[in-house]
Amino acid sequence: MPKRPRPTSRRTARPTVRVDARFEAATLPHLKPLFRLAYRLTGNPAAAEDLVQETYLKALKSFRTLRDRDRVRPWLFQILSRLAIDRHRAAAREVPLEDSHEPDRFSLYDRIADEDPLPYSDRLHDEFLAQFQDEEVRRALLALPEAYRVPLVLLYTEDLSYRELARMVGCPVGTIMSRLHRGRKLLERALWECARKRGLVKVWTP
Amino acid sequence: MTDRITCQQAMLQFFAYLDRALDGQPLEALERHLQDCLDCCDRLQFSRSVDAFVKDRLGDAPLPEGLEQRLRQGFQLVRATEKG
Repeated sequence: MPKRPRPTSRRTARPTVRVDARFEAATLPHLKPLFRLAYRLTGNPAAAEDLVQETYLKALKSFRTLRDRDRVRPWLFQILSRLAIDRHRAAAREVPLEDSHEPDRFSLYDRIADEDPLPYSDRLHDEFLAQFQDEEVRRALLALPEAYRVPLVLLYTEDLSYRELARMVGCPVGTIMSRLHRGRKLLERALWECARKRGLVKVWTP
Repeated sequence: MTDRITCQQAMLQFFAYLDRALDGQPLEALERHLQDCLDCCDRLQFSRSVDAFVKDRLGDAPLPEGLEQRLRQGFQLVRATEKG
């Protein structure tokens, strides 16, 4: 345990130390759920740790501006979520998000019913899903653009309302609604494509 | 009395319905459609299954050893930089 820096002057150093102690006491209890979210967003422990470290440093710098100390957890989640989205923007991997409504209408349910990959099954749709390995599902999720992945993973992990998600991600409720819809449709399509590559279905029409 | 909606319109509302984000007239219209359309009931059930399936596979990793300590050291560094 490293020693706390010794205050050099009562007037200047003590208040800072007190604020820092409050910051640590308020934020570090949320480390585990924050790391879990970061891991689910990045897919690997080292990248998750980087994201968590960046989140805490940013939080430390703006802790004094946090008015409602009862909202530390959503505030930390908000910082982490926005950092995850901003990193993606910084990496210039942005793909057009709202260019077409075609992905919204993709139906994995209908594709499975049409293709009937398990002709002798009486639980066709459930058994289709059961063929995927956990890692394949995670890869499909990680391949989604962050603008869709971040709200979807937040929803699955924290079970938040659309209003809370909108506040966290920093966009209107209507945008959250359409991104959660499209994100799931893109995921359905990715699972279908994965099944096609593994030879679980015969034909794939984009 | 609510307007009838088509299967296509109903499907566009499924996720908001599963996320408990629908209310008022859109909710009434969807529930009325589901009362009459078995196909959409099956589709909705499948969407629910996919959600649960993905949710169960999000994955988890143990907290890296020493992370809390590294964070505390990072805080000290920031303090030292601010003072310096």
